[in-house]
Amino acid sequence: MLLAALLCYVGFTALCLSMSRHYADLLGGSLSTGRSRGLKAIGWGALLLSLWVAMASLSIGQALVQWFAALMSSAVLLVFVMPYWPRLALSLAGIGALLVPVAACLQLLA
Amino acid sequence: MAWLHTWAGLVFGWLLFAIFLTGTLSYFKNEISQWTQPEIVPHKVTAADSVNRAQHWLQDNAGDAKRWFIILPDERSPQLGVSWIPAKGRFQDKTLDSLTGAPVQARESMGGEFFYRFHFQLQMPYPWGRWLASIAAMVMFVALISGIITHKKIFKEFFTFRPRKGQRTWLDGHNAVAVLVLPFHLMITYSSLVIFMTMTMVMPVSILTTYGTQTQAFFDDLFPAFKTTVPAAERMPLAAIAPMLDIAADKWPGSRIGLITVNNPGSANASVTLARHGADQIPHEPGTALMFDGVTGALKEQSTMNAASLLLAGGIYGLHMGHFAGPLLRWLYFLAGIGGTAMIATGLVIWLGKRKLKHARAGVLPFELRLVEMLNVASMSGLMLAVVSFFWANRLLPVSLAGRSDWEVKVFFYVWGAALLHAFVRVFFRDGRSAWREQLCLAAFLYCTLPVLDMATAGSYLWASLKQGYMTLAALDLTALATGIFLAWGAMRFRGEKNVVIASTSSALPEAR
Repeated sequence: MLLAALLCYVGFTALCLSMSRHYADLLGGSLSTGRSRGLKAIGWGALLLSLWVAMASLSIGQALVQWFAALMSSAVLLVFVMPYWPRLALSLAGIGALLVPVAACLQLLA
Repeated sequence: MAWLHTWAGLVFGWLLFAIFLTGTLSYFKNEISQWTQPEIVPHKVTAADSVNRAQHWLQDNAGDAKRWFIILPDERSPQLGVSWIPAKGRFQDKTLDSLTGAPVQARESMGGEFFYRFHFQLQMPYPWGRWLASIAAMVMFVALISGIITHKKIFKEFFTFRPRKGQRTWLDGHNAVAVLVLPFHLMITYSSLVIFMTMTMVMPVSILTTYGTQTQAFFDDLFPAFKTTVPAAERMPLAAIAPMLDIAADKWPGSRIGLITVNNPGSANASVTLARHGADQIPHEPGTALMFDGVTGALKEQSTMNAASLLLAGGIYGLHMGHFAGPLLRWLYFLAGIGGTAMIATGLVIWLGKRKLKHARAGVLPFELRLVEMLNVASMSGLMLAVVSFFWANRLLPVSLAGRSDWEVKVFFYVWGAALLHAFVRVFFRDGRSAWREQLCLAAFLYCTLPVLDMATAGSYLWASLKQGYMTLAALDLTALATGIFLAWGAMRFRGEKNVVIASTSSALPEAR
């Protein structure tokens, strides 16, 4: 479930960055259409992947409950950390992305 | 639609705040009960040992009863509960120590059961409280749907929260906590309606009149055991129940037993029914049970709940109650519940804040807005005061006081009433800020010092539980401390006489809807 939660947070951060206002706030500069589309694809991809990952590791009921829990808590975390500590919000996504392969290995081994 | 959201939200907001707050507390119902009855100490014992002790005790003390119930201890509630229906008279229950098998002399308290009951019965006679709570749930559903429809920028502002901008911040917070936790809000509201339909409207009143309202929701689990049979005249000793647990472990791998029901113990046609522990699967399955012959100990029949409609209702019920949730998921349930409570609270604050703007210059609020402000204060900070008073009363009322658990409940309502009176006096004869400030300060003090009170009055239980590695008592104290710090932060916002909120909102006025 760690993997699914990480993917949720990374996915939401990418979706957030695909909007020009948040992109400017967090990274500075303006967002090109191509990059916005790319970030959107990464974001939705990560969210869908996280659902698939949850379904693959648990029974359907538990998977859905835990996936929704991960989805909601990662979005709440991002939205309420961002205005106060924008760099922390971004670093968490970076660390999350780096940990994805580790979590994937752990899930495969379990 | 906006009109519907605004007015439905206002009229039912105060009641919904109370329902959501006490409902949220109910996710830690067993933990709260453990704190309010620290005399019942957890032990690491096997289910077989517990059931043997319960069987011995019931054999010696309720041998001629019509029916026994045994509830085994688990990681969330330490008590070994035994209850029985005597040959003559009313339902009785006792709590046994799971290690010694002797009755525990614990202080009388409803504990978490009080908040749980209140969140859907509202301390009103059956069935009126349930009806009112369900109407409130219906209004909540309407407010959620109308809120989604009227929130035009739901995707554009999905990640938006702008702090320190007065009314703008309140609206952002209201939207964020509504949208980001929307799956929970929809699930909890819709499921409450389904539960009302199945439990209140179909619920046989006879069960309620037999057990009263204080029997820890036994009826939730009782259905398979309710096939009453007349006891046979011939007496035969009851088989040991513990070996039946082994058979159950084979039938339901990885599951535990929650409730054990023994019909006609000691008679030739005795039967034993084992029901699965509610925490082992998401759906609530009251019909799933194993029935054993009470004399030979052989498995007689296995009933499963497989009607699709019942299973769906069971799934919805299970999601609402969250019995299946482990510690992490349980905390997330609790936080999501706080999110729902915060959504209602911010909505109420926004309603008043927007209308206060028009009167900012005059400096005098009209009667109806004062009334709303009074109810806001009493329903929110007043309820927070009432909740903490319940815990204080639990530690301060003498253990031997007659009707002790009723007194705890009375203290809760007296304090809530006093908070309403205080809010009235402050809002109508001074200003709303002083009402908020004083109530939040007092609440912050009472929450922050609850751990101190616990250490002073029941410290020995706290240390003993920590030494054994049980965190529940300490976790409740720390949660109270965190709540107190949050309320103190809230109280700080109301410092001074100057109306900072209004001053800062006027700059955000063009943006506000």
